[in-house]
Amino acid sequence: MSTNHRVHDIGGTEGWGAVPYDPNESVFHNDWERRVLGLLFQVLPHTAKRPGEFRHTLERLASEDYFCADGYYGRWRAGMEVLLHEYGHVDKAELDNRLGVPHGTSAGYRSANVAAVNPESLPPDRITPVPERRTVRRELKEAPRFQIGDRVVAAGNDEAGHTRLPEYVRGVTGTVVKIHPAEVLPDSTAHNHGDRPQHVLCVAYQAKDLWGEDAEQDVVINVDLYESYVELDQGAS
Amino acid sequence: MSQGADHHHGSNANSPEIRTEALEDLLVEKGLIDRARVDALIERFEHDLGPMIGARLVAKSWLEPEFREKLLDDADQVLKDEQIQGAEIEHVEIKANEPGVHNVVVCTLCSCYPWALLGLPPSWYKSPEYRSRVVREPRKVLEEMGMSLNPDTEIRVWDSSSETRFLVLPERPAGTEELDLAALTQLVTRDSMIGVAEVKA
Repeated sequence: MSTNHRVHDIGGTEGWGAVPYDPNESVFHNDWERRVLGLLFQVLPHTAKRPGEFRHTLERLASEDYFCADGYYGRWRAGMEVLLHEYGHVDKAELDNRLGVPHGTSAGYRSANVAAVNPESLPPDRITPVPERRTVRRELKEAPRFQIGDRVVAAGNDEAGHTRLPEYVRGVTGTVVKIHPAEVLPDSTAHNHGDRPQHVLCVAYQAKDLWGEDAEQDVVINVDLYESYVELDQGAS
Repeated sequence: MSQGADHHHGSNANSPEIRTEALEDLLVEKGLIDRARVDALIERFEHDLGPMIGARLVAKSWLEPEFREKLLDDADQVLKDEQIQGAEIEHVEIKANEPGVHNVVVCTLCSCYPWALLGLPPSWYKSPEYRSRVVREPRKVLEEMGMSLNPDTEIRVWDSSSETRFLVLPERPAGTEELDLAALTQLVTRDSMIGVAEVKA
């Protein structure tokens, strides 16, 4: 497995402790978490409107903001600060001024810039009917390149752009078990390179193929992959 | 909740309460947001949405085999028929537990979750511990969370990496034969529909 370089891409990484599980936990712990939720849904229409764009904003946060002590809504708030700065609504210095702290405190100072993704590195765009409503779904006239039962493998890449290919399946062979409705490709839309819609495959991986012989028995991990992520595994029977 | 701008000072400036309030004040002053709409949105997410929507689908599928079959075959059509709409459920798949097969849902890359069926996700679902470990050692994680499965039971983990959202259809507990839809719906927990708990009679 290659080195994990993406802060959010943590599936299968080791060294984490017990899940902080409380079956009776309420969805908010503090009132400010409610405010962040309410604010975000009004801020997004002024900022990150494209599929994958807000996710990529969170993925660009410094790990101290991504895994901040304020939890998930703290991460959302940090992402919101970054977006508001980048879209010119609330400058990071303006927020620091308002808080009466020296410049440099905002999450915006620690966030990486939007990754420059070369459109040539993406699969070609396709013409699809324009949906009547806002949706990630597209009707593709091209049939899927793969069938249920095909053995496929995703090579992935080490680009800094947005992707929904988890690191832990890279280079591992899995089996197509279902084909979901087609979607726009977030690797493209997050970077404003167009829809480039793809069929979406549900690919089943055996735990031992992902984690080795010590893996738990009788475990299958199903991952949804955009068709352009994978190739047929030529060596597979 | 705002009391104006001038009290944001000093060492508390990075407290989440103060920072969120400062951000909200700035957004209101700039006319970017409307405080009443923020309130209304919170109200809707906190009180109108919740696991009872998914729970009713589960209970109904326990009572009506034809409904269950349709739900497993084409959940999108069932949601349309039942007039269930909302965030994060454009394409939904229901995964049924059965003797020897247990399903569990995660989003390792962020925190994707079928909001319109389950409401807002709990923190543990969004925690790095759950996201990282449940794909590598689901049996151990489930056991730590209080669910011990038969060692022969196959575990199917569903990582929500596209815009498809997953809901687990838990098994109906024994001793509930006399219960009606409303009573069964009461038994179905959020966590059983994520796949980290079983439904108890």
